[in-house]
Amino acid sequence: MSASSGHGGGEGCAPDAAPYVLGALTEQEHAAFLVHLESCAVCREEVAALQIVADVLPAAAPQMKAPPELRESIMVGVSGEPALEGRLAASRTRTRTRTRASWWRASERPALAFAGLAAVAAALALAVIAIAGGGRASTRVIHAEVSALGARVALLLRDGRAQLQISGMPASAPGRVYEVWVKRGGAPQPTNALFTVTSSGAATVGVPGDIAGVKAVLVSSEPLGGSKVPTTVPLIVAHIS
Amino acid sequence: MAMFRSLRPGGESSAAEQLRVLADEELMQLVYRGAADAFEVIYERHADVAFSLAHRICSERQLAEDVVQEAFLSLWRNRSRYDRARGSVRAWLLGIVHNRAIDVVRRRGTRDRGEVREEGIEHRIVARERTDVEVARREEAREVRDALEQLPEEQSRVIELAFFGGMTHVEIASLLDTPVGTVKGRMRLGLAKMRIALGAPAEMLR
Repeated sequence: MSASSGHGGGEGCAPDAAPYVLGALTEQEHAAFLVHLESCAVCREEVAALQIVADVLPAAAPQMKAPPELRESIMVGVSGEPALEGRLAASRTRTRTRTRASWWRASERPALAFAGLAAVAAALALAVIAIAGGGRASTRVIHAEVSALGARVALLLRDGRAQLQISGMPASAPGRVYEVWVKRGGAPQPTNALFTVTSSGAATVGVPGDIAGVKAVLVSSEPLGGSKVPTTVPLIVAHIS
Repeated sequence: MAMFRSLRPGGESSAAEQLRVLADEELMQLVYRGAADAFEVIYERHADVAFSLAHRICSERQLAEDVVQEAFLSLWRNRSRYDRARGSVRAWLLGIVHNRAIDVVRRRGTRDRGEVREEGIEHRIVARERTDVEVARREEAREVRDALEQLPEEQSRVIELAFFGGMTHVEIASLLDTPVGTVKGRMRLGLAKMRIALGAPAEMLR
């Protein structure tokens, strides 16, 4: 590798290899280094040698036990995922609209709540019963109303637990996160489920607690750390009938 | 198989036992064909280290759970893309966890980077009943921690700020008021020393 390539370091060629395997290059540097790697055997060798260490670095983190409920939440996602696309496609052909109920008491909702919801390009809440084979319990899929253009959200219900499967969702604004709320009858109650989406707009979020008695699951944009009362119009509403 | 059937030792079926003796790469062949029970065994093996890594980076239990969940589901969705020639299942999975956790941290800003809160401390593993594999993994973890801790402070610091703090080398240089080239050099030297401490030949230390 030559010094003029931008990665050169004379005798110690490949100074970017270490920050590369540690994920510490800037986006531009990362992209440039990937291109450089294609033509530099020295750097490829250096990366391979250092990657061995980077691969075991996770073991240096304080070891913790994964929460038991995480396994269930993931396996719900696995069981619902294979046929999900097909069900979403089918639901789009059967889309119907319906009048939404108020999602929190008038005294608590922002003034523009209904105006915002009127503009919602709502997919409808359509329940599908998906029975997996082999004696598995049934998973109920509810397609949520989503105001974000291009986003799709399904709420999976199984064994009293619920999980949101989100795709195409815009990134939360700087300084804000998405917060999950549950509505049982009165005002929506906050949960400790705060999340962001991946660069592709995807997220899989478990709804904390038992879903029994929950009438709707909602998601709104809130300041970091979450809110006790919604401060914005919900972006996602999944009615559980 | 029943999705949520207990797979704890002593109560598992022979089918689950048979899956447990398979290597990750063999399990992935079954996962490729859609075997959720094989995927669940992979989850059992790597969930703790994945959660530990995510929690170390995100410093928040809920964010760590979200990261791990997304990583495992990504593994499931992209199972057809797994190529054993390019690395182990564990390295692939932990790479996904690392990337997603870093995304979360960078989106959140520089606050709290590299810190570990005591939240969730009760979930730390207490050694008691351990399988041979778990014992080996704990030993590996101890060796890696030792190798990192034995580095000169300026080398371990830049590695921890980068890998667990999600900081770029430019940000680290600014934070430490140190030239970028020095930061890169410390990263390389630290990783090379760790490699040797973990049993590799010493030819990298030049």
